[in-house]
Amino acid sequence: MRHLVRPAQYAALACYIVFLGFPLLWLLSASVKSSVELNSLTVSLLPSEWSWDNYTRALARQGLLRSMWNSAVVALSTTALVILTALPASYVLARIKGAVRVAGVGWILISQVFPVILVILPLFLVLRTLGLTDSLLGLVLVHTTYTLPFALWMLQGYVSAVPVALEEAAEVDGAGRPAVLRLIVLPLLAPGVAATAMFAFVSSWNEFFFALVLLQSPENYTLPITLKMFIGGEGKVALGPLAAGSVLAAIPSIVFFSLMQRKLASGLMAGAVKG
Amino acid sequence: MKTRTAPAAALSAAVLALPACGDAGESGGPVTLEFQSLSDQPAAIEATESIVASWNEANPDVQVEIVPAGWEGIHDKLITQFNGGAAPDIIHYEAAELVPFARDGYLADLSEHMSEDARADIPDGVQDAVTVDGEVIAYPTELQSYVVFANRGMLEDAGVEVPDGDTMTWQELREAAADTTTGDQHGLGWGLSSPTAAFMSMAPAFGGDFFEGTGADADLAVGEGEMALPELVGTMAHEDGSILPVTLTQDGAETLAPFYSEEIAMTVQGSFQAANIAADAPDDLDWVVLPPLEGPAGPAQTANPQTLSVDVDSEHVEESAEFLEYFTSTENLAELNEADSLIPATESAREAMGASLGGDETWETLLESGEHLESSPFLFVDGYAQWKETVATPAYQRFLAQEIDADELRDELESGWEQTTE
Repeated sequence: MRHLVRPAQYAALACYIVFLGFPLLWLLSASVKSSVELNSLTVSLLPSEWSWDNYTRALARQGLLRSMWNSAVVALSTTALVILTALPASYVLARIKGAVRVAGVGWILISQVFPVILVILPLFLVLRTLGLTDSLLGLVLVHTTYTLPFALWMLQGYVSAVPVALEEAAEVDGAGRPAVLRLIVLPLLAPGVAATAMFAFVSSWNEFFFALVLLQSPENYTLPITLKMFIGGEGKVALGPLAAGSVLAAIPSIVFFSLMQRKLASGLMAGAVKG
Repeated sequence: MKTRTAPAAALSAAVLALPACGDAGESGGPVTLEFQSLSDQPAAIEATESIVASWNEANPDVQVEIVPAGWEGIHDKLITQFNGGAAPDIIHYEAAELVPFARDGYLADLSEHMSEDARADIPDGVQDAVTVDGEVIAYPTELQSYVVFANRGMLEDAGVEVPDGDTMTWQELREAAADTTTGDQHGLGWGLSSPTAAFMSMAPAFGGDFFEGTGADADLAVGEGEMALPELVGTMAHEDGSILPVTLTQDGAETLAPFYSEEIAMTVQGSFQAANIAADAPDDLDWVVLPPLEGPAGPAQTANPQTLSVDVDSEHVEESAEFLEYFTSTENLAELNEADSLIPATESAREAMGASLGGDETWETLLESGEHLESSPFLFVDGYAQWKETVATPAYQRFLAQEIDADELRDELESGWEQTTE
């Protein structure tokens, strides 16, 4: 019976990967099918005839590359701002006790309650006063504001998992406060920072509504706006070019995830504190 | 053929240059109008750019800048733009969604700016669709109607004579669908995943108009005329067995696949699908557009034209209206509609398009279907959008799935309206 465990584990893993990967495979498949084949009843993962026309049409239309660049600028800037802001705040939130912590946690939870449709108009008016509508900087600030509470919540969980005893031990060994944070706490938080950065990046990369409302000029459009423009009125959808555009849009995300996943190693603290 | 020509519009544009020069003098440059365009087909985008380019060339003091936008989320974007004072000068949208903005006072009254020629060129039913409380809120540009696309070979194989009259009755459609239903093959496919728009648009043929009154005072009454079409579809699907059941849960585009593979002989679609069918149907599929459907009250359908409006807060309402006169001139509108596979909202553009397409049978029928479009009360009813999404669509879906009967459908539609307007 025991010899069946390992194959069963692999089978379960294979099922999981297929479940997760199938939509992406289908997207890839749709991106290389002709319009005629996409509109036929024949269901096949492999196209009967490979067609790269969808990629040509996607790249030729709507400024796809420019909007990819805009999305990259906004998402990376948002990620950097979120991490820089959330990291010290989460440390404070995790380590302090009392009313400030309660108020901080309460603010985080309440901030998640409001639907975007409620806040968009006042937000638009504030940004307009500041001259930040129709600008990528304005969008970065909005994405940061909207992503920050949950990022803070995530990171303070990672900070809480770092034993206070480790910091105390370092101080006993003569390390000052800045050194403790830089040499002990920060390295142990790397997986948490990586996970939070990925969350912030994906949230900003995929965000549609704020970008739709705040950005007016085509040269500032981000990727979700451009991709939605492949969906027309009266139910008209340019399915092939949309699939091709979506495949291209996924590439930067995949690259970012590939770079960050190395930092996600866990278990760094295993055995760090005896008993 | 009466034609509103581009030269005429260009002449008026030259007259326009006088006030525009005044504006330009104050700011030291030409007036620039922002035109938020929702054109989504490559050919239509090209046509729009071409029209704007020719205007800009002839009018150096009034330059138009296209701001492309998508249909997805446009309503929310416009709400924010209007409330935030950031709306573009010229707004592309559709009549049904535009009316609430007009009632809230966000759109300029174009009554005084629309020329008599332009007004005379727009059919009454279409003009009514863009007139709110006596004010013209938009220039209508493009229309669609619901038509039947048929596989000629499958009809003939079943011994059904392909209708070629001015109209065909719903009863003829029902009989043709029944005659072409055999084994795994069904006579009709109809993508009714969102059935309300189709049922509301085609109800006038049965004398159904759903609403009496306008604005917040409108009342809903669901009688025989309003129930006739859903009941007919239900009968065809569940008693005749002539509608492919799965298509009732699909959208129009999804229903084209069984049409291409000859699982269905006919399909009811928006007229714009003609271009997609021409592009995607197998080469050996001999398809045809059947004459407009006629009910006991005639062949009427509801017109919901795409529109061009002007922001009430625009500093250049007059210049914007002059541009719209030019944009909707005969040849421009014909070019745009041909690119978009839609039906021009003016008589002259429809005639011009018919002439330029040189007697194409499909287009002739599609353009004829535009003759029967008229305004409908539901365009001017407060709360319609909410009722449609939260009450009507789920109720129609349950009815088509046989979860409720006709009486229950009627009750749900009426009681749902009362709750919506409480």
